[in-house]
Amino acid sequence: MMANPKVEGAAAGHGAEPRGKRGEDGQATYLIAVAEALWEEMERDERVYMLGEDIGGYGGAFKVTEGFIERFGGDRVMDTPIAEETIVGMAVGSAMEGLRPVAEFQYADFMTSGFDEITTVLSRYHYRAGVPLPVVLRGPSGGGVRASSFHSINPEPWFAYAGGLKIMCPAFPSDAKGLLKSAIRDDNPSMFLEHKWLYRRIKEQVSTDPDFTVPIGKAAVKREGTDLTIVTYGAMVHKALEAADALEEKGVSAEVVDLRTVYPLDEDTVLRSIEKTSRALVLYESYKFLGIGSEVAAIIAERAFEHLDAPVIRLAPPNLPVPFSPTLEDAFLPQVADIEAAADKLAAW
Amino acid sequence: MATDVDPSAEQQDRPLPDERLKEMLGTLMLCRYFDERMEALYRQGRLPGAFYSGRGQEGTHVGTASALRADDSLFPTHRDLSAQLTKGLDLNRVMAQYWGRIDGYLRGRDGNSHIGDWYGNRTFAVMSHLPIAYPVACGAALAYKRAGDDRIALAICGDGSTSNGRWHEALNMSAVFQLPVVWVVNNNQFAYSAPNPVEFHTATIAEKAVAYGMPGVRVDGGEVLEVFEAVRSAVERARNGGGPSLIESVSLRWRGHAGHDPAKYMAPELLEEYMTLHDPVKNFQEKLLSWGVVTKDDIETVSEQIAADFEVAHAFALASPFPEPGDAFLGNWTDDGYWTREPGRGGGTESA
Repeated sequence: MMANPKVEGAAAGHGAEPRGKRGEDGQATYLIAVAEALWEEMERDERVYMLGEDIGGYGGAFKVTEGFIERFGGDRVMDTPIAEETIVGMAVGSAMEGLRPVAEFQYADFMTSGFDEITTVLSRYHYRAGVPLPVVLRGPSGGGVRASSFHSINPEPWFAYAGGLKIMCPAFPSDAKGLLKSAIRDDNPSMFLEHKWLYRRIKEQVSTDPDFTVPIGKAAVKREGTDLTIVTYGAMVHKALEAADALEEKGVSAEVVDLRTVYPLDEDTVLRSIEKTSRALVLYESYKFLGIGSEVAAIIAERAFEHLDAPVIRLAPPNLPVPFSPTLEDAFLPQVADIEAAADKLAAW
Repeated sequence: MATDVDPSAEQQDRPLPDERLKEMLGTLMLCRYFDERMEALYRQGRLPGAFYSGRGQEGTHVGTASALRADDSLFPTHRDLSAQLTKGLDLNRVMAQYWGRIDGYLRGRDGNSHIGDWYGNRTFAVMSHLPIAYPVACGAALAYKRAGDDRIALAICGDGSTSNGRWHEALNMSAVFQLPVVWVVNNNQFAYSAPNPVEFHTATIAEKAVAYGMPGVRVDGGEVLEVFEAVRSAVERARNGGGPSLIESVSLRWRGHAGHDPAKYMAPELLEEYMTLHDPVKNFQEKLLSWGVVTKDDIETVSEQIAADFEVAHAFALASPFPEPGDAFLGNWTDDGYWTREPGRGGGTESA
């Protein structure tokens, strides 16, 4: 489809809107929610600009930024060479001089091509030298779309370890929009991971208030339950909710806690739920060994031991490349049936 | 000191007024003295942490930083403390950083020449993964271009950095966007123990500029004015919208990579040649003496003042308190306000 240079009319109170639009029912997909967050923050604050590969005329690999260059121009929607270290470094340098960059990675897999600038400069500079770096790195992460080893990674543990980045992995359009707006407004560096399996699969009513935000570092209980808690984030939240419905029919009441932000982690919301249910299933799509859920399990063991009626169970993929073939990838990623089986075991312990 | 010498043809060739030339000499001498004294303190076990000597390369550092305005930004390496001193860093606070004190520019969070003073002298706090600051300099330059003002960014690295991918990424990026940035390579002929032929296969580093579509020049780092004029020309080009340039300044690292390295891999004849013929401090002293800009007495007076200033700074550093142990856990996020409290202390003092 050819790009239409005409800017669409007023929708969210800003005189225009991103090319990708809500459906007639007013619901926003996860992808549209991300685009709206970017659009509104670009409208609100002219220090905000975007840089990345193919984000301008092409509109981004996933078309998140389609229509942006026509509205905001090439200076604020900057197509760059394929040079991730320098994309990150440029974001840092421009933030030091007062801009608020949002760098897009075509896939979160390519964040490792900028690893040193992310972990050594972006993550550490404020602690060392006191210069705020309001930088957002965003990109699509996660598997389940048959994209194999180099387009399916969940990089959040690598970067959470760095210690100076706030890392968000939203599961719902509203959380995606509200957290991305918070990230852009935050004076600290952040990494915003958009699960690509959710982009066009999930939609809901999302606020049109230009000042709607979701606080960084706060988990949310997405389903109330009494028998056990599934602590999870990202696409796995939806698998957990599906499993919880199936468990309900079997008489097991599962609570689902969506971390939303994986660093810094909202320990209190997790612990409150464990105190209530006394059983924890930690479900995550990053690797099992040293993944985000490893830390969640450790926190529960350390701070809620006396509340537990059963050992903490972790359900996550092995530390292996994400395979391509449907049979392999489905075996690799936790499925609803796996979650049910783990929950059954936990409930029966 | 003013002199009685009438302006001659030779004088008219001077690139700077006498006062600036004298100031440049004073900075060269300060940097040399500081380097020698700090190394001595390190060897005596009186200086904690590490020491990275920039001796023999002061021509590159002073010449480069002298071409910058106060509001231009400088992205140096650990070897380039002389460039930061030229940019205006306060000797007292530099010394406090070496001794890990609260009055150091980074409040004790980093030591030695891993220093920077962003909100004061617009220098980036040095990081070890060279040339890690090259991409960051692109970003500062991008901001200047976006703002439509005439500030520029200048980054220094060593010959070793030119082997790293980021060096090439940053040069390419700066050319693509015609950023107001100047790239200076302090080619001191050794990356730790590796000589130039182990690092790259071209005859010079300057010629690589052709591949990025920018001017590249090679200058003698033993001649501070030669460096200064090349950098000044590149700075003016960047300031006037002419885009980036590459400057290779050749010198020799007179000492080891760091205080612990005796540099036995370096041929004594090479070292002797550079110390004899390409000493930037001695060469510039002789030049200013021959031009009549300074007298031997002037030089003696400056030397005495530098030695006195050093003692004051050393005492200041030792008298400055250590940071509170609990500070180790503050200042990672802006949220706790650590860096905006006590703005008189080093480091960041402005909120975004």
